[in-house]
Amino acid sequence: MQANTNETQFMATLRAALGIKQDNAEKRAAQIFTSPNDPNPEQTGIVETIKSRQGKDYMGLIDHLCREAVPLKLNVIPVKDEAQVSKAIVELVKETEPEWGTKKSVVQWDHPLVNALDLKTALKGQNVPVHTAVFDSAGMDNIKRSKAKERVRQQMIDSYIGVTSADFCLADTATLVMRSRPKEARAVSLLPAIHVAVIRKEQILTNLKELYTLLKYDPDTRDPGVLPHHMTMISGPSKTADIELVMVHGAHGPRALYLYVITE
Amino acid sequence: MTHATLFIQCIVDGMYPEVGEAMVKLFQRLDITMDYPENQTCCGQPSFNSGYRKEAAKAAKHYIETFEDAETIVCPSGSCVSMVRHHYPELFENEPAWKNRAIDVGKRTFELTEYLIDVLKIENTDAYYDGTITYHDSCHLKRYLGVAAQPRALINQVKGATFVEMKDSDTCCGFGGAFSTKYPDISTAMVKEKVKNILDSGADAVVGCDMGCLMNIKGYLNRHNLNVRVMHIAQLLAGQKAGAV
Amino acid sequence: MNHDTATKKYVQNSALAIKDEILQSALNKIQSGLGKATALSYQNLDEGPPLRLKAHEIREKTINNLDVVLTRLAAKVRDNGGKVYFARTDKQAVDYCLKVAQQHHVKQVVKGKSMVTEEIGLNPAFEAKGIEVNETDLGEYIVQLAGEKPSHIIAPAAHKTRQQVGRLFEQKLGVPYTEDPPELTRIARKALREKFLTADMGISGCNLACAETGHMTVVSNEGNIRMSTTLPKVHVAIMGMERVVPNLEDHDILFRLLSRGAAAQKLGGYVSYIGGPGGPEFPDGPEEFHLVILDNGRSRILADPKFREILCCIRCSACLNACPVYGKIGGHAYDSTYCGPIGAVLTPLMEGMNQAKDLCLGESLCGACKQACSVNIDLPRMLLELRYRLAYGDDQWETKPVSVVEKTIHQAWALLAGHPALYRAVLTTFALGQKIFPTSKGMITKMPGPGAGWTKSRDIQPLSQTPFRKRFKKLNAQKADR
Repeated sequence: MQANTNETQFMATLRAALGIKQDNAEKRAAQIFTSPNDPNPEQTGIVETIKSRQGKDYMGLIDHLCREAVPLKLNVIPVKDEAQVSKAIVELVKETEPEWGTKKSVVQWDHPLVNALDLKTALKGQNVPVHTAVFDSAGMDNIKRSKAKERVRQQMIDSYIGVTSADFCLADTATLVMRSRPKEARAVSLLPAIHVAVIRKEQILTNLKELYTLLKYDPDTRDPGVLPHHMTMISGPSKTADIELVMVHGAHGPRALYLYVITE
Repeated sequence: MTHATLFIQCIVDGMYPEVGEAMVKLFQRLDITMDYPENQTCCGQPSFNSGYRKEAAKAAKHYIETFEDAETIVCPSGSCVSMVRHHYPELFENEPAWKNRAIDVGKRTFELTEYLIDVLKIENTDAYYDGTITYHDSCHLKRYLGVAAQPRALINQVKGATFVEMKDSDTCCGFGGAFSTKYPDISTAMVKEKVKNILDSGADAVVGCDMGCLMNIKGYLNRHNLNVRVMHIAQLLAGQKAGAV
Repeated sequence: MNHDTATKKYVQNSALAIKDEILQSALNKIQSGLGKATALSYQNLDEGPPLRLKAHEIREKTINNLDVVLTRLAAKVRDNGGKVYFARTDKQAVDYCLKVAQQHHVKQVVKGKSMVTEEIGLNPAFEAKGIEVNETDLGEYIVQLAGEKPSHIIAPAAHKTRQQVGRLFEQKLGVPYTEDPPELTRIARKALREKFLTADMGISGCNLACAETGHMTVVSNEGNIRMSTTLPKVHVAIMGMERVVPNLEDHDILFRLLSRGAAAQKLGGYVSYIGGPGGPEFPDGPEEFHLVILDNGRSRILADPKFREILCCIRCSACLNACPVYGKIGGHAYDSTYCGPIGAVLTPLMEGMNQAKDLCLGESLCGACKQACSVNIDLPRMLLELRYRLAYGDDQWETKPVSVVEKTIHQAWALLAGHPALYRAVLTTFALGQKIFPTSKGMITKMPGPGAGWTKSRDIQPLSQTPFRKRFKKLNAQKADR
């Protein structure tokens, strides 16, 4: 295989440059890489801390999150239950206009928490369609699948509000963390002008360090390869300061981001 | 009895002997006895900074030989001290005997303000200055020797003086040795901004610890007929009220 | 370009930049705003600024074992379903990207902001094959429309005013003139959304890869990189071979420092971890992911122990925001892909020391870059090292001695420094000889030769007729008398 020959040569060049004569790669690898199965006491402690959090710990995290979110223009809204979120989205749809075109539509993930909002019913009154960005690829041939994908993509392009959940939320940086899954299309949080996310308070972590520790050292959280093929982190709506360092929100991604945190 | 061996770097020796004089006057007042090895020349920094390490090493060997027997060496320049302390050992990477001698002499070479504050723990120099002072942080002194609080502590104990910080006191003045003559436009743009910050501070005098920077600042002020006094910290600290003993 | 021409160009470009008031105001804004905010953001780290030292250790360990780390990265990316290509040269990297593009009949590319694609000249190569390449970072887009080059690693169009951008958009996009940044941003948003939706291929750089998980991470605040790496069918990422860390724990530290160094943020707005394509069951995302790992002169740097440290750089650009020289001359004066202090070290190593000598000579060695560096790289040490190689020449780097005259001057000075009597005699002679120069208020106003640069804008103190060495004895005796 060409790629392999080329990799072999590349590595030989590196070893020559490093002045490494004997190939003790395995030994060096053992010294460099930490093992997911072998957390140090600090890491074990972090996992335990996360798993033993109680109600008031979460309230502290929500406060922290709300504070950090303000300068990022991320609207964090703690709510009691799913019904409140659903109501808020109905209001949002009433008050806002689509950015591209005139027809209002909403796109969402196929996710238990998002499904529980029952947006289809809630938005029936306004006659606003709610699309679920998903298709069942079982038994599909290539042509059918690419058609299904095209349909989902068009729904995401056409919708002006995208509703998602997230795997985690990091309070310290006001960051939503999403590991990609087939029922959780990436562009739902990207193409629509407004992104609405809904999570439960138990999904809040303190910071990146907690996230990484959990992803790597917690067997309940870990993917087979530590991370899936793709993961996204989102801290606030899209922004730029490329013209005279003036901060403008809504560069390429969503112009606004609402995060509902269910507290009960 | 406190004793210091003076290393008076070339700029002060040749161009600003009054700075050396001020240092002597100050030390006398503080009861520090002094000697001045007459064979001293240049620390080699100009050559080192331009890449001429073989030439710098010659100067370094001469410095080491000249000052090796001194217990405490004091120099009114942060960049010369940084040269001795940090760069001499680098120069002798392949000459271990010289390297050790360099490290040894480097440990005993101090910049004036770190000597007064860190070594002697002096709290009062009995200095007097009637006016407002601002301070320029020389790059090598602040970043390579970590000396920034010491000169400020010394300025703050000067009676009669008001101290004001200028904007960006630790931004380079644009001297940079050969840089200032090789790239005069860039160097000038930098000193222009430094002078603006000095003027904006409202001080009537700018104090520093390195005549390289002060020569640059003073040269610009003089050319543009700007009236701000430029003082080495030794001059400030040597100053007393008329009639004081 | 011969070396003298290069110097002339550097000097001229700097002089022009210094006179450019728009640029000066932009540079001032970057340094006084972003530069200071970054310094403060290091202070606010949970671990404090010493985290930079820890980060340096991680980077050093990685670079010293780069073969092992890259082997793991490649294996893991392949496990994730991605393809990995190792490119020795810029040409190999470009050719590989073109090959992928041709396999997929690509007509239009959207590109996330990346310095490494500037380095390998990707855009012109694609355009030569009739493939449209659209820069999608707003700053890069502006620069591309204007036919210019980026002037800052993370704020590429920092040198342009809102009025200039307004006129540019009016001209190139046929929209009515406006100088309102939100409106200008909206215009670009609209124009580029079409490109995102129709592009067949996305190209990105890589901010930092993590070997153990087999991912590269890309960061943007605009969302353009998410768009470029989510919507097209194929995604090719190009990374300089050093932009990797072994473990997630290391990534945590480096990544937080990267965000702070780049934009004084705790974390970049959008971060994508990309290891491979999704399977057929995924509704979106590219169907193919290629990672190109580039050498292009880096292994030569790796082989030189004195310069290896520069490979620790994660291109956060914090050094640009602190360097007083960059703060005066801006990015274009450097005339190379990488500008500022990082460019001053890297460009001579990549493009030739003689060719790019002014970049390392034209720095004042103030040390602000090291202090600003998110991973505490000793840039001044390497500037000095480059000057050393230039002074005597260096066969391994095909470097010739920079100046015979200069060398002779330093040899003469060294001779004096070693001979005190001669030193004293010569300085006394100089003190007498200088009387021929014109003076004002006791200072010399005009000097010939190397001094001419100085006296262009400054006076200089003449040598004293009674230097300190002639005064000390008498001064010291005064005390004894008392």
